Amino acid sequence: MSARRLVGVAAGLAMGLTAMTGCGAGDEPSAGDLGGKIEGKVSIQTWALKPKFTDYVEGVIADFEKENPGVEVTWLDQPGDGYDQKVLTQASSGDLPDVTNLPPDFALPLAQQDQLLDLEEADVDLDKTYVEGGLQGYRYDGLDGTYGYPWYLGTDVNYWNKDMLAKNGLDPANLPTDLDSLIEQARTLKEKSGGKVYLMTRKPGLNDLQQADVPIFNEDGTELTFNTPEAIELVQKYADAYADGLLPKDILTDTFQGNAELYNQEKAAWTTGSANISGLEEANPALAKGTEISPAFGDGPLYVQGLSVNAKSKNLAAANALAQFVTNPDNQREFAKLAPGVYPSTIASQEDPYFTEDDGSVAAKAKVTGLKTLTTAIPNNPKVSPAMSTIIDQQIALAISGDATPQEALDKAVEECNKLLAQ
Amino acid sequence: MTDTVKMSSRVREHKWFTPWLLVAPATLWLCVFNLYPALNTVYMAFTNKKPLGGGEFVGLANFARMLDDDQLLYALTNSVLYMLVCVPLLTMLPLLLAVLVEKKLPGLTFFRVAFYTPVVASAVVVALIWNWMLDDRGAINAILQALKVVQEPLPFLTDRWLLLFSAISLTVWKGLGYYMIIYLSALGNVGRELHEAAAVDGAGPVRRFWSITVPGVRGTMLLITILITVSSLRVFSELYVMTGGTGGPGGRVSSVVMLIQMYSTGFTGHLGYASALSLLLFVLTLVPMVLLARLNRKDG
Repeated sequence: MSARRLVGVAAGLAMGLTAMTGCGAGDEPSAGDLGGKIEGKVSIQTWALKPKFTDYVEGVIADFEKENPGVEVTWLDQPGDGYDQKVLTQASSGDLPDVTNLPPDFALPLAQQDQLLDLEEADVDLDKTYVEGGLQGYRYDGLDGTYGYPWYLGTDVNYWNKDMLAKNGLDPANLPTDLDSLIEQARTLKEKSGGKVYLMTRKPGLNDLQQADVPIFNEDGTELTFNTPEAIELVQKYADAYADGLLPKDILTDTFQGNAELYNQEKAAWTTGSANISGLEEANPALAKGTEISPAFGDGPLYVQGLSVNAKSKNLAAANALAQFVTNPDNQREFAKLAPGVYPSTIASQEDPYFTEDDGSVAAKAKVTGLKTLTTAIPNNPKVSPAMSTIIDQQIALAISGDATPQEALDKAVEECNKLLAQ
Repeated sequence: MTDTVKMSSRVREHKWFTPWLLVAPATLWLCVFNLYPALNTVYMAFTNKKPLGGGEFVGLANFARMLDDDQLLYALTNSVLYMLVCVPLLTMLPLLLAVLVEKKLPGLTFFRVAFYTPVVASAVVVALIWNWMLDDRGAINAILQALKVVQEPLPFLTDRWLLLFSAISLTVWKGLGYYMIIYLSALGNVGRELHEAAAVDGAGPVRRFWSITVPGVRGTMLLITILITVSSLRVFSELYVMTGGTGGPGGRVSSVVMLIQMYSTGFTGHLGYASALSLLLFVLTLVPMVLLARLNRKDG
């Protein structure tokens, strides 16, 4: 076969395959009626809740089916790894479940493609039911509406090794409350310990800039704008601290063991983490007892998980009712009790004594401290794609290494990210 | 004669489509999993395709963007350096090892196994072990400091060039055993009598190596050169793991494959640009292969 004929055959085959793919995607099911009767078969997809929360989820589904006898719910749980690829495949083949657990950054592109139900159309007062931060996660610049019922929330608290601080000339009762005092105490710790242990063990990221009130995007969300003097100053402080040996060298490439791991091994006196200390209790029970908890610097980060409704669901009313039911205050409270470090996103649950009572234990202090910052914590901007995150991380590392000034690095990061955003 | 006539009539009994039917499964597999994705990549390289949406024709915009991409320049520089260091080292060192372990002496099996072990180990696991050794507080820096060779730990995992050469060392170390095995099978075809005749004529081991062994495995050497060239341009695991997936400060220790991975990941992946990068990589790997094949034909 001549080369020309071969190419011809190949092109024909490719066109045929493309046409075949097109046929499958063209026949979209028509959506059900949101105000219709709550009945029919609906599916709900969660993210890595099996097997730990199997009983809980099955219980909630059974309760929902009992309240709505005409509904049959199918539960799908996807493994932790590769969830984005799974949802992407479902979305592009039109197989998105009726209700899906989507964090805000997963929900955004689906909302832009009109695949998710705008919950403002549903019969619920979102602002009176869910906390502001949770809703903010599903309200996007340049897109009207709310595209997910906030489900469970998380935030970070600070963990401090009291013994290590005291042994190295620091007062555990006088913990750092901002970057300046952190760097100052990191210097003392380095000098007193002869450089054997660290206080600071991670480089800053976009989150830290956000906590320092640096505007990540312009007002209409069309351009990244985080190369401000405040951001430059913050990165410069880290670069100076790095040059003075206050941080492990390998933080530049994230090949170090990680700040939580260094903390667990008592090689670092500070780390940030969720308000769930069970991991630390398991890894180093003595250290867990000797840990002091304090609120995250600034407003703290807000990690949001939510349930979105497939706009093309055949049983839209049932799907919407199911999403509301799973995220109602009672069910959220029960879930949060089973999953330490997780908080309900419903306003009614915020005063629940379970989350506000402190029995004096480190675990209780972590829980109460996390809750206090939850109302002011800031969710990550879902418009920042993985490629943008990598570029920002690379440029901040370059600035901290001293091979570029913070101004040059942040300008470059903004320029490259804006190129990606414009595509 | 009668048997031959019977045989050919039996052959003629087959339907015209029988051969097509026999190759159909493989052809279908090739079309669906190789040809279609390849052609689709070419198509996407001229669009602004994203995992959800996009797909409008943008002409040569993705290729124009490459000219203004610093990271691509770093990645290409790294790939060329990788190739320049790996090709001579991995072409010659495994041959020397193969010559050493070819002899039938007691205990040599141990060395053959030892040299081959890194090949069996997972690239990711090996790279992680190297990370621990090359860490600021790892074994290598501890030894260098104990021997007073250096005062401060060497930044193997943070300095651009040290990181790159650490990754190259890992690739060379891991590849030695693999190419040694290929050379061992080739050495079996080099006539022992040639060595004996040369030895009788007074040729020493070095002379015999250059005048008999090397010409004897020339074809294999060319094949290995092509394999190393292509794998150097497509390097991923070593650089990815040793930079913690970050590509190093400023993304200066990336490879082209790492860039493709970076741009194609997630819901908002830039599949158009990633496809254009894939095409570039395809052309880049094709050029040295064609050159080497031509060189071989000329020499032949």
